[in-house]
Formats: sequence, structure tokens, C-alpha cells
Amino acid sequence: MRFAALSTGSAVLLLAAVVGAVVLLYLLKPSPRRITVSSTLIWRRVLRSRRRAPDRLRWWMSLLLATLVALCVALALTRPRMGSSSTALHGLVLVLDNSITLSARTSDGRTRWDHAVERARGLIRTGPASARYLIADTQRQIGSPHFEEADAALATLERLRVTAGGEPVFPQVVPPGDPDLRAVLISDGVARLEVPGGVESLPVFQVADNAGITAFDVRALPADSTHQQAYVEVLNASPAPRAMEVSVTGAGHPPLTRVLQLAAGASARELFDVSTFDAGPLRAAVSMAGDALSADDVAFSFARGHHMRRVILVTSGNPTLERSLRLLPRVQLTVIAPGRYTDRGGVDVWVFDRYAPPQPPAAPALAFRPSRVDWLPAARGDTGETSVSAWVRGHPLTEGLSLQDVIVSNALVARDVNRFEVICADAQRRPLILASLHGPRRVDATFALDDSNLPQQAGFPVLLSNALEWLAGESRSVQARVGLIEVPVPAAKVLDLQGHAVPTRPLPGATLIEAWEPGFLTATAIDRRVRVAVSVLDPAATNINASRFADTPAAPTFVSEPRWRVEVWAALLLAAALLLVLEWWTFNRRLTV
Amino acid sequence: MGMPSSRISCSGSLRPPSSAGGRHPFSPKSPYLAASSALLDESLLRKLEVLSLATRRPAYGQLRGMHRSRRTGSGLVFTDFRPYSAGDDIRRIDWSIYLRLDRLVLKLFEEEADVPIYLFLDASLSMDFGTPTKLDYARRAAAALAYVALLNHDRISLVAFADGIVQALPTRRGKNQAPQAFRFLENIRASGQTSLHATLREFFSTPRTRGIAIVISDFLDPDGIEPAFAVLRRFRHEVAAVHVVAKEERDPPLPEEVVLIDAEDGSANELEVTPSLLEAYRETFARHVRDIEAYCRKYGWGYVQAATEVPIESLMLRVLREQGLLR
Repeated sequence: MRFAALSTGSAVLLLAAVVGAVVLLYLLKPSPRRITVSSTLIWRRVLRSRRRAPDRLRWWMSLLLATLVALCVALALTRPRMGSSSTALHGLVLVLDNSITLSARTSDGRTRWDHAVERARGLIRTGPASARYLIADTQRQIGSPHFEEADAALATLERLRVTAGGEPVFPQVVPPGDPDLRAVLISDGVARLEVPGGVESLPVFQVADNAGITAFDVRALPADSTHQQAYVEVLNASPAPRAMEVSVTGAGHPPLTRVLQLAAGASARELFDVSTFDAGPLRAAVSMAGDALSADDVAFSFARGHHMRRVILVTSGNPTLERSLRLLPRVQLTVIAPGRYTDRGGVDVWVFDRYAPPQPPAAPALAFRPSRVDWLPAARGDTGETSVSAWVRGHPLTEGLSLQDVIVSNALVARDVNRFEVICADAQRRPLILASLHGPRRVDATFALDDSNLPQQAGFPVLLSNALEWLAGESRSVQARVGLIEVPVPAAKVLDLQGHAVPTRPLPGATLIEAWEPGFLTATAIDRRVRVAVSVLDPAATNINASRFADTPAAPTFVSEPRWRVEVWAALLLAAALLLVLEWWTFNRRLTV
Repeated sequence: MGMPSSRISCSGSLRPPSSAGGRHPFSPKSPYLAASSALLDESLLRKLEVLSLATRRPAYGQLRGMHRSRRTGSGLVFTDFRPYSAGDDIRRIDWSIYLRLDRLVLKLFEEEADVPIYLFLDASLSMDFGTPTKLDYARRAAAALAYVALLNHDRISLVAFADGIVQALPTRRGKNQAPQAFRFLENIRASGQTSLHATLREFFSTPRTRGIAIVISDFLDPDGIEPAFAVLRRFRHEVAAVHVVAKEERDPPLPEEVVLIDAEDGSANELEVTPSLLEAYRETFARHVRDIEAYCRKYGWGYVQAATEVPIESLMLRVLREQGLLR
């Protein structure tokens, strides 16, 4: 027996003191009054006719009951914990598989995770009194697992949750060759874990029906960037053919729905024309009767809509740039010579090639080696041949882009760049690309495309696309799997579709979002906004029956602890109450003194 | 139990003697009045004048008294005739028969005799209990009975007993012996244990005329009453038992935990007093009383339960008369 509230020595002292106090009180009990009566003749006759235990025995019985009551109360105060007296086992390592498949429901309506936690609790509560416990999980929720007392281990267990996303890994918590250590993995066997030898497995697997979306994306047609298609891949992971309904919903159009009949283990790839949907989140959903796992039933993406960006390229002739701009989706390009430039409305982005108007245009502008004007950073002299040595990775312009191999044969040396952020620079920290910090958005490349190898870089269209999106003020959208998602927006505030804040962690130049379930999130910083479509989209997660364990036909066969469990201290208090009732009864019956 | 002296002062305010046979012994200057002050007050003494002890059998007394006897003599009640013999009292010759029959015939009358009354008063320590104490109550009852007996010219012997005879007042007769009887009773002090059997054996070890034995006691005798009363039955005395009971004995007010000390032998009994135990005690005590009464009734004896909370006047004037001990 261990004591949660006191050390063993203190508890023993407390119990001894309680027993001593009770005995002392009994010894100090005042003696009864002595009353002289005419004769005890009648009393003796009465007492002869009543069977009565000897006074001494009754005194001892009373003392015993009072001592037991006091001991029960004192023991309850020490919060004892029962366990076997075996000292052979010193530690129990419990590794719980908390990958997403554990949230699949079993036939009793509970989840595999519920059963896993229940079994872990049972192991802890029935473990040896002297044992210590180490709780670890396959999703690394517990950063530094360590041995702890049973109470603390139970509390740690309560904090664990099923976590979607990420690759489940068996933690390195089982030291080899320790005979006093028992290691147990509680899992459904779906996750492919490298389990060390000597680790026992407690399965919580039961075959269940499931259908899930394993892929969802929205793309513009290559031939016609105004047309967009949603690609939905659905997997029937049930052990039998099942019918299911797939739907795509978004703003500005009624939901698109299809009914599918899929064989066991088969998947379907469906295309939906979402060109007529407004720009914004798209939600794909699959519904099937008896679906055990809900997390993979929905997926999110982002529709760009059918809005065309009007771009005017002002150049004396640059076929490479012109062709690159035309290939970008949703770009309506107009090419004019510098002489025909007039600032006019109805333009989303100006692109200046070796030219810049004296007056700043009203619309955002991208300029390659512009002529010297006041609204762009002043330039003085040329750099000569140089190359990009550093660039800002958190800026929307550089997202998904590497400028590592960009070589510039000649560029202007920009001065007075206070109003601009340097996006990339050479080794001498001379800016090569700048972006405005405030006011109308401008991007200033201090070199001409002809003077660099940038157009030959694979990332050039990406750079152009990023620049047009940023200049046009369009939100960026990111598709991510559930779990920890890093978005390139520093100190962002993240909200879901209902406006609820999503937990985040700050990172240098980025924000880490804790997205544990599918949804559509919006990360907002001062001047940036990123849409994050969070989905499971993992065939391994959808395939909840791909277990290395045999099927458990019915949930009740899982070893489970009782629905309610009486703690030892509560049982002791109950016993004390019962003993008090017994003492009261025996006293009133004069069975005790 | 002492009475206030103001109630028994022999002032001239006393009424004249009652007309009941002109037997009132007290005059305004009566010497008995002061003697009776400690036990019985004057008004009770007056009321006792009309009473006499009732006997169920003819009296065996040798002296003239007021009870019917089997002897013939100079009484008032005619019983028979018999021929005259020499030496007979010629005053009893019925001269009218002599004139008619010329024979001398004596008229015989039933002679009225006195009754020896043996009054046993329990003076053991168990009697010194209750409020008033049973002994005080018993001595007042004894004084009243003695007074009634003396008024009726009965011979009375007073015996105070415990585990034997403690004190005894030799036979007294006549109303002028009342003060001595009262003083005897007043001087009795409680002592010793109860042994009625030893007392009666000791008392009747010398020849006694058959009479009435009145036992005033609480009958808390460890040996029981049967051996003692067997002595009285053997000598064929008429018996009257006056059972003195204190209220504290019938319904003892006891705390929950108590050590009871026996007043007579000092033995101790530790008790946890519960309602059920008290109820059992009451039942046992009532059975004890019933057993004594049943024993007396079985042999045609008188039995009176004298509860100490009942005024002595009620005992004498109502209870004893209802039970047939007085008339």
C-alpha cells in the first residue's frame, strides 16, 4: 500500500497516533455514577433474565469499533493506493497509438481511442504498488516522456488526444535489456510502427465501415484558365461494397452531388466543374451510412473564381516576359509601347520593362530595371556581374521559390530604399529586387530580364505569379493536411470559418497552426492574408481496416474497467460510516458500552 | 416524619371528645397529645378513634376486650343455658325459668376478649430509602395501627427487626400505653440486612398467644418471604402484610450508565440503563409485589400495598379499611 498524501512513515505515525488517541479516550472515559438503592434484589433478577455479554468483552468490542472507525478516517486522509506487494516490476512503459485511425468508432459507439485509454488506465490501476509509469504516444504529443507515479500517469493519460497528420512513430522510450520493465503498445495496428522486440501489444482493433476523401484539389484547365475543375478521390475502406454520396459545395452555386457504388477497397476519382463557383472555400464531403471515421469525410480547397486579372505590359519588346505573363492563369494581358503609356483605370497590374512613367501609376506596378523616376528608389551606377546570395523567405513574392542560381550580368545600384523591403540582394547586400512596404504596392527589379538568367529559371513563372497575386491583393491559399501547419505569415491571427480562433505558435517569419481537424482557416497579419484549406487526404488514415491485428468481432470483448470505480479513500470513508452505524446500533442495543 | 409542632399544640381550641362511645382519651390537658406529635398529628388521631382492627377468627385473648371469643362469660351476647352447679355465680341464674320450671339454670353469654397483636416493623437499611423514607412511613403506619389497637384494649407487641430482632417493646395494653409505643417507634433507626425468617423464628421461639401478626416491610428479603411466613402459618396466626413501596423503587430515575449500590450488603451492579431494561425492571418489581400478594391471598391473609406517596391518613382511613384490616 502506498499513501498519496503522506510518506509511509508519516502515515504509520498518524495511524499509531489515532489508535493511541482512541484508546486513551476510552481509558479516560468517566466512570458511571454510583447510586445507592434500597436493594439490588430486583435488579439482580432482571439482569439474570437478560443475556448480557461480559462488561469487559463489551468494552473491548466498543473500543475495537471506535478504533476501526478512526483508522478508516485516518487512512482515508492519507489517500492510500492499493496494489500488489510485488516488487519484481519497477516500471511500466505504456505507448499509446494516437494516430487518426484510433478515432474510428467501434460497434459499441465508442472510439478505438476510448478503449485504448481504458486499457491503459486498467493497467495503471491494477499495477504493482511500487511501479512507476511512463506514458508515451506515437504522435509525439508528449515531448519528453518520463517515469512518474500512478496518479501523475493517469493525469498524463487524460491529456492525450488523437492527433491527425504527421507520421506516427514508436517513441524511443524502451531501454533494452531491463528485466524489471514492461513495455506495452496499445494500438489498432493500422499505423506502420517499428515496434522494438519485447514490447507487448494490446490491440483495440475492430473492423468498421469507412469511406473517405483521399484527394481534393481545384485547378484551372490548361487550355482555358477561366475554367476550374475540382478533383475528388474517394476510397471505400469498408470490408464490403457500399453506396455513398459525394458532394462539392461552395459559394455562389448549388452543391454538386454524385452517388457512387464502390467495391470494398476501391476508389473513385471524380471531376466537378466548379467554374461557376465564386472565389472562396470549397468543401468536398462523402457520406455513407455507418461510417466509422468522420475526420476523412470532408476536405477543403479554395476556388479562384472566374475573375480575370487585367495586366498591361509596357515594353519596347520582350517576348519572353510577354509569353510568361500570357501563360499565367486568369491573366488578360495587353502589351503597349512606352510611348503609348497613359495612366488609366481598369488596370489591375502594370508591368514596366526598362521603363517607368514619371508619375506613379494608380495601380500596382512591377518594374524591371525601370528608368530613373522619383517614385522608385534612386539608382546610381551599375553593379556589374553579380548573383543573388540572399532572399527573404517569408514574403509572398518568394513563396515556393528559390532564387539560389539567379545570376545578373548588370543591375542598378539602388539607393534610398527606406520605403521598400529588400526581397533579394547580392553578396555585397546590393538590392536586386525590392517590394514596397507602405502605400501602393510596387515591385522593383533593379535588373533587366535580358541581363539575368532569371527567365531561364524554373521559378520564374512562380515569381511572376506571386508578384501578380501580391500586387493584385489576392489572398494566397494553402492546402495542408491536418496537424501542425506552418504558414509564411509572421504573428498571424488564425480564424476558422465560424470565426473561432485556432491555436497557433509563433515561428521566425512564420506561424505554426495547430489544426487537428479538417477546416478552412484564414491566417491574417498586418498586410497579408493566407487561406489554409485543412484536410486529412490520407489514404492510410482512411484505410482504417488495414490492421496487423485480427478483427475483434464485438467491442464488449475488450477488457474494460468498470464504468465507475471507487477510490480506496472513498471506500474507507464509506466503511467508517458503516462502522459508525454499526457502533450506534450496538450501543443502542447495549451490545457495546 | 416529624410534624410541625403548631399542628399538634395542646391548646384549648381542641374540640370536646367525640361521642363515639365516649372513649376519646384526650382532653385539653391530655398527656398523649405531646407524645403523639412526632408521628401522628392530632386530627389523624381523632379520626383513628372510630377504627378497630378486624379479626376473621374468634379471639383467644385471656383478658376482656372488644373481640368475640369462643369463651362464655359476662358478655352481652346471649349464647346458651346450662344447669346451675355449685359455685356458679348466682347473678347469672335465670330466675324466670326457675319460677316456671323450678330448676336453677344459668344464662350463658359470649365473652368479648382482647387480641394479641404482634406488629413487626422492618428497620433494615433498605427501608431507609425514598422520599419520605420507607422507614418513616412504616413507623407512622405502625404508630397508627398500634394506637387503634390500644384504643380497642388489644395487647400489642412492637418488634423492630432487620436480620433479627433489633428492638422490641413488650406487650402493652390500654390506651395509656400509646406514648410509650410512639416513643419506641420514634427511636427506631435503620440498620442491617433484612431477614424476616430469622426474626419470626426468634420471636415465636417463646410461646405466644395466637393473634394477629402485622408485618410492615418492603419484603426485599434475599431469602424470600415463604420461609418467614411459614413460621406464622405453623403457629396459625392471622397475618396482615403491609408492603411499603417507595415511588423511586417502582419507577427508578436512573442515568444511562450507573453503578447501583445495595444499601444493605453494599454490593455493586454496573448497568447501562435502557428503556427496555427499565421496562424489564418495572415488570419484575410488579411481579415481586404480585407474588407477595398472591401468597397472602392464598392463605387468607390480608395484604396492603402502602405507597409512600399516599398520605398516611388515606392509608389508614381508606386503604386499610378497603382491604379489611380495619373496620
